[in-house]
Parts: sequence; structure tokens; C-alpha cells
Amino acid sequence: MIAIKKYILATLLATFILSGSHAQKQTPPEGGKPQDFKLPEKEIKKLDNGLTATLVQYGLIPKVNINVIIKTGNIHEGAKEIWLADLTADLVGEGTTSMDFKTIAAKVAAMGGEVNVSTGPNQTTISGSVLSEFGPDLVKILADIVMNPSFPSTEIDRLKNDLKRQLTVQKSVPQSQALEKFRSLVYKDHSYGRIFPTAEMLDSYTIEKVKAFYENNFGARRTVVYAVGKFDEASVSEAIEKAFGSWKEGPEVNYPVATAGQTNEVAIIDRPNAPQTTIMLGLPALDPSKPDWVPLGVTNSLLGGSFGSRITSNIREDKGYTYSPRSVVYAGYKTALWYEQADVTAEHTGAALQEIAKEIKRLQTEPPTEKELEGIQNYEAGVFVLQNSTPQGIISQLNFIDFHGLDDSYLTDRVKNIYNVTPEKVKEMAQEYFQYEDMTLVLVGDKKLLQQQIKTHEQTLKAK
Amino acid sequence: MSCLAIIILASCSGVQESRDDSFKVPVEYYKLDNGLKVVLSEDNTSPTVVVAVYYNIGFRIEPKNRTGFAHLFEHMMFQGSQNLGKMEFIKLVQTNGGVLNGSTRFDFTNYFEIMPSHKLETALWAEADRMRGLDITQENLTNQQGVVKNEVKVNVLNQPYGGFPWLDMPQYANENWYNSHNFYGDLADLDSARLEDVDAFFKTYYSPNNAVLTIVGNFKTAEAKKWVEEYFSNIPSADLPQIPDLSEPRQTEEKRFTKEDKLANKPAIAVAYKMPERNTPEYYAMGLVDQLLLQGSDSKLYQKLVQEKGYTGNVSGGINYLGNMFNYNGPMLWMMDLIHDSEVSPDSIITQVNQAVAELDSVSQEELELAIVKMRSDFYDNLSELYGFGTADLLASFALFDDDPSRINALEAEFKKITPEIVRRTVKEYLRPTNRTILIVDPKAASL
Repeated sequence: MIAIKKYILATLLATFILSGSHAQKQTPPEGGKPQDFKLPEKEIKKLDNGLTATLVQYGLIPKVNINVIIKTGNIHEGAKEIWLADLTADLVGEGTTSMDFKTIAAKVAAMGGEVNVSTGPNQTTISGSVLSEFGPDLVKILADIVMNPSFPSTEIDRLKNDLKRQLTVQKSVPQSQALEKFRSLVYKDHSYGRIFPTAEMLDSYTIEKVKAFYENNFGARRTVVYAVGKFDEASVSEAIEKAFGSWKEGPEVNYPVATAGQTNEVAIIDRPNAPQTTIMLGLPALDPSKPDWVPLGVTNSLLGGSFGSRITSNIREDKGYTYSPRSVVYAGYKTALWYEQADVTAEHTGAALQEIAKEIKRLQTEPPTEKELEGIQNYEAGVFVLQNSTPQGIISQLNFIDFHGLDDSYLTDRVKNIYNVTPEKVKEMAQEYFQYEDMTLVLVGDKKLLQQQIKTHEQTLKAK
Repeated sequence: MSCLAIIILASCSGVQESRDDSFKVPVEYYKLDNGLKVVLSEDNTSPTVVVAVYYNIGFRIEPKNRTGFAHLFEHMMFQGSQNLGKMEFIKLVQTNGGVLNGSTRFDFTNYFEIMPSHKLETALWAEADRMRGLDITQENLTNQQGVVKNEVKVNVLNQPYGGFPWLDMPQYANENWYNSHNFYGDLADLDSARLEDVDAFFKTYYSPNNAVLTIVGNFKTAEAKKWVEEYFSNIPSADLPQIPDLSEPRQTEEKRFTKEDKLANKPAIAVAYKMPERNTPEYYAMGLVDQLLLQGSDSKLYQKLVQEKGYTGNVSGGINYLGNMFNYNGPMLWMMDLIHDSEVSPDSIITQVNQAVAELDSVSQEELELAIVKMRSDFYDNLSELYGFGTADLLASFALFDDDPSRINALEAEFKKITPEIVRRTVKEYLRPTNRTILIVDPKAASL
């Protein structure tokens, strides 16, 4: 909610200070020798019913974060069941056979926390962060919530109405409009391409449908529990075993694999008189299980993924067309997308696209200098250390390798792999995965103006 | 073996632990001869270090004919200094493995880097370089005027509920210009900024005697002090202008406004009450009241508005929408807001607010103890926010506003002094309907 902020914390790059060209200037002190960085130790526990728990001691602050992650989400919805996973999780959060919502909220508040329920495309997370001494008590409550939901029928209409309101609001946000369109063009036949339901769809969901979704998708084999922070490991570990040990095994992990389609379609969503155009421009990319995932990330960081990156330097810091441009690699299950997103001044839409195309082309024709690449590598390595330096960060790193089926070497070798990328490799990645001509383009803005602006894009395509 | 390591770590970082698990932040505080305040706090959990520089200039006191200038100026601090040209500051931090940001708030503008700890000296050098002076061209200024105008567009002008209520409410609720102008700035004012304004603003506010430098994380105190002395001590201090009168008159009538939003399709409402003065018993009482009324799913307003009535899916709010209850220094609002359906009238929402407030009349000691537990837990989250930046933020704020960063370890004791009687008295004066401003969003977008 903090709005007056600059978006620098995205991803990385740079040319080092050219000491030669500023002979009269002082050179920054280089600093000392890097400290050893070791990933925090983890304890893994597998229960007989298939549930896995990972415990990590981290930090000095006396709190513990506990996440119960169930490997289901929107990905298990049918084409006419969009957000049924959200409604299911919301109802799971409404109380258990022995405690209603209010009782749970009061109990967890007394531990210094609250229960959060969130539904993602691939995972449903029930979590809390409480003062350390309450770790085992929170485990007990979270287990009760996921294992014994009461599905109170008195609450379903209110929750459906909340989802409808949320739907209406989200569909009025230009960035959400762009995302919905972009995903539907790339993922034609998969839940990754279905961002929003209709109000009628939400109306059609019943307690029976919710219970069926829960029965078909929740259970110990699909569940991982993380406890990270400063806490008494023995008692939390014991609580996990005791609380979750009796849960049904439930279904095996089963993710339908999506195929991202390549299409150079251009879609315009009209937003009359909009002062800016929301641009999403991208195409299918490599997923994290592929060997070139790390080079792809480094290339993205250099091209558009960090504040100092080429596209950002160009369209923000040189031209002033936009405030928060960024490129992103979005990873789903065995599929990924790369895209550049920016909200640009409406009258500069065509020019911004042209500059983005230019930066891509430049990287395809000449490799970055060693120095520019090294800067990016340092940045990526630094960010990796930061990503593993908070309890919630540690959970997301461990969850990342678990979800994508990677082993620990993904994390332990990451810094080494970042530094193994060569300038030539970056150029190859750009050539192979960043063909401007193959990109899907979504523009949300004033249609009349965009029909003029889009001509620049068409010319760029022809000039290939 | 690991036990030994833990003991060494704890004693090195000066962390004390007592039986009740209350956690103390190590604080070392001193001033350079030029007036720069310095706060050091070791925490060797990870090989990273936060460097944060806070200047005692927020958007409240920016020049009257230059709305949005404090924030535009924040952007200029990344545009070039004596030894670092445009983009070089950013690249210096990133190519050394760090991240950086800056922000403009009510009462300060901050700049920070989170670096691998062996690059602490590099970051200190760079912050000192831009504290010593800027080197900005007209081209850089024009560029950032474009960027900032795009920032206002993406966050406010092209966004449903843009600026609601964080940017809007101070303009409706407050009377004193310093608290009630458009902090993001009118686009015309942003356009009219000139290079000499940049120069004058820097000379007036960006001096070491108007700033605090905070270092939090993995470093050695003696070494850090040496570098601080080396890079910052010869930056000259400046004469500081008097801070203008920021006070707000006591409000005696409820105020109600409606704002049309052409991009929104559901109504929304915000309710704001003027806060008691900072660091008074009433102020701490409001912190606990906020916990009881608004924070978490057990809170009275969440229970009433979300669970019982189903008026909304979520209620947001708290003290200071651009930070937290500790990092400001002037008049402030306690506020809540929510989006609802058009079938629900604003008055039915207000009725629930009134009932929740009325229930505080019988607040018990047990409820206050619950509020303190929630407060402590939230406070720990504040400290660990953004890899330790949260700790730097509080230390810097307490140094800047109170000349006493060790307040970071004294807060819980202040909250514990609050009795049900103080809460009742606070609610009576500060949560009275005549002390509030209601802002209603009238949605004008075509429905789906």
C-alpha cells in the first residue's frame, strides 16, 4: 500500500563505473572479501501418510512462520469452475467441526497472529506467523482447519458475493485486464489461461461442489508443511506428527501440464481516454526444470528484469515514457512465459514498443561485455542471498524446488551456475527465446489512439 | 558445536534474551561534529547489511507553489552526484550485489541499500557522495518529470480507486495546508519545477545536520565507525529553516465528502479520525485500540463488517497509510477503508463502526493484554521487514524525531502502561463522531 516508492527492487544489471572516462572523479572503494554464504540447515520429516514437513531455524526474532501448502489450486478447476478452488479454500477457512471462525480467530490472535488462506494457480496455502512459544499450538489449529473443515452452508452466499465483488473490481484494473487477455491467448486450453470467472459461474457453485473439490484435491500426499523461524524444534516437530499423522492420504500430486502456444496476435482492449497504455508483450519460455533456466534468468535480468537493465534504462531513465517497466519470467508447472510489462504514456506507446524491440535486437546481434554481464551476475547472486535471508523467503525457495521437482543442487549450485553464464550464452538465449516477431502483444488503452500507435509496431515486424 | 556458535553470535551482536522472550535490538548512537546522527545495530544472521539515510524533509513541508516537489526531488537523488553520473549510483549498488530504493513520506525522505556485507564501505562512500552534492542536468530533470508524471498516472489517474484513500483523505480531513495538499503533486506544478528549485531544495534540507545514517546487519562496529568518519565527517553542515507550524485545530464537526471515480464500479468508503499527539499516553492507547478494532480477523470491525454483515471481503486500515504508527512526526489519521456493494448504504457501515467504538467503553484488562500480544508480534514483523530494513527504519525515525533511537526497545513498556481507563478517555475524545471525516467513492464506471 506504500505508493510513493520507486520500483527498484525488481531484478538487476549494469556497466561498472568507467573510471577511464571520468579521470577526475573518485573511484568507489571496492569493499572487502565476500563472506561465506551457506543455506540454512533444514530438517525434513516424512509421515507415513505421505505428508512432508520441513523445519528450519532462522534468525533472532522470536517468531515462527508455519505454512501448510496443499498442491491444488485453480489448476484443478474445470473450464466452468473458475475460482471454485478459491471458494473451497475460503470455506475451509470458515471453521472446523469443533471450532467456528470466531473461535479460531480469537485463539490465533492470542498467539500474536492470524490464519491466512490463499489460493494460487497451483497451490493452496493455509498459514500463520506467531510468537515462537505458540508454534505447536498453531500447528494444531492449522491441521484442524485443513483436515476437519465444517463447510458451514450459512456462509457460502456471503463468500460468493465477496468473490463477485472482487471480480468486478479486478476487472476494472488495466493491468488485470491485460493479464487476463494475455494468458487467454497463450494458454488456450488450461486453467493458466482462465484468470476470471463470470458472475454466473460463481452463482452456480454449491456446498456440494465445494465439498467434492475438497475431497478430490486435499489430503496428506499433496501437502507439505514448513516451519521457519526461531522456535523449539522438538515440540513443533512432535506437534506436526501428532496433528497431521491421522490425515487421510488423499489423492497423489497430479498437475495437468499446460502447453503455451506461440502466437504473434495483437489484442487491444479499449479504455477510452486512458492517459497510459498498459503493455504486455511476451512469449513461451523455458521452465525451471530445463538446464538453461539459469541463463534465461540472467538474460532476463540484463534485458529488462532489473532497475539497471537495458529496457528500463532506455524507456524509463532515458526517455521517461514510463515509471515501472519490468520483464518477468513466470513459471508454471512444466511451462513458463517471458514478458515485458509497462504502463507508458499513451502517445508514446508506439515509440516504447520500438525501443523494446531495439533492445531485444541489440542483445541478439552482439553479446554483452564481460563487465556488464559480471555486474548482472553479482546482482543475481546478491538477490539470491537476500531471498534466503528471511523466514518467508526461505519457505518460498524450498517450496519452489519442491513444486518444480528440483533437487537441493538447484539452490546449492545456483550461485555457481549464475557465474557460469557467458556473454555468448546470453546472446544465444536472446536469439533463441526472445524473437520479437513471435511475441503476443496486449495493449490496454484508448483504442482510437492505439490504432495509430500500433502502426509503429507493424513496421517493426515488417522490418525484421 | 552449533551451540557454541549460537552463543558467540548472540554475544557479538549484543542481543539479550530474557525468560519472557522479549527481544532487544542492539543500539549504538552517536553524532559527528557536523551534526550527522549515526545509529549502528549489529545482527549477524545473514551476510548482508542495510545502509539507510533519512533526511528530515517530508512532503508535508515542501514549498507551497511546488506540490509534489519533495517526491520529485527524491528521484533527483538518483540522477547524479560529484563522482557518480546518471545511472551510476544504481549500477554501483546492483553490480555489487545489492538492492536499493528510496521513498518520500510525511516527515522524511529515505534512501537505502541492502548490500552483501563486504560491500558496506562502497555503500557508505556512495551515500556520502550524494550527501555532499548533486550534479543534475536539465535533461535529467526533464526525464524524471516524465517518470514521475507516469508514476502519478499509473498509481492514481489510470487506476480505479487511485489515490483512495491514502492520498485523498489527508486533503479532506486536514485544515492546515502542510497536512492537506496533494503530496504527489499537480501535474502542472511538477512541470514547472526548475533546476534552481532542485539546487535550493538540496541546499536547504540535504545537510548532515538534518539527517541520520543507520547501519543494520552484519558488520564490525569499529570498522563501520571508521568509514563513517572518513566519508561523512567533512561534509559541511548548513543552517536549517524553522519547521513551520504543522498543527491542526481540534475538529468539532463530522465532515463528509463524496468523490466521483470514473474508473471504479463499486462504491467504497473511508473513515478517518485525527490521532492524539505522538508519544502521549493517548497515542499509545490508540495503538492498542487499532489492534482491537481493525487488525486481524479477530478484530471488532472485521468480525462485524466481514463475518457478520458480509458488507465487504476485507477491511483495511491503521495509523499512517504511508508507514506505521512510529515513523511520522506530526498530525496523523487513524483510518479504515473498504469496498462494498451499492445495495449497502454508507450509513449502515457507519452504524457498525459506531457500535464497535461503543463496545470499547467496557474494554477489559484482558482485552488490552491481547492487544499487546498482537502489537508485539506485529512489531517483530516490522523489525524484520525487507531483510532488516524495517529495523533501520525505526532506528532512523526515533533518531530523527526524538533524538533517541533506543526508544525501539522501550515501546512495549509504554503500551503496558495503558489502562482500560486511559483507553476509555482516549476513545471518548478521539473516536467521537465529530473528530472524523468520511470519504465516499461514488463509482461512475460503466458496469461490466
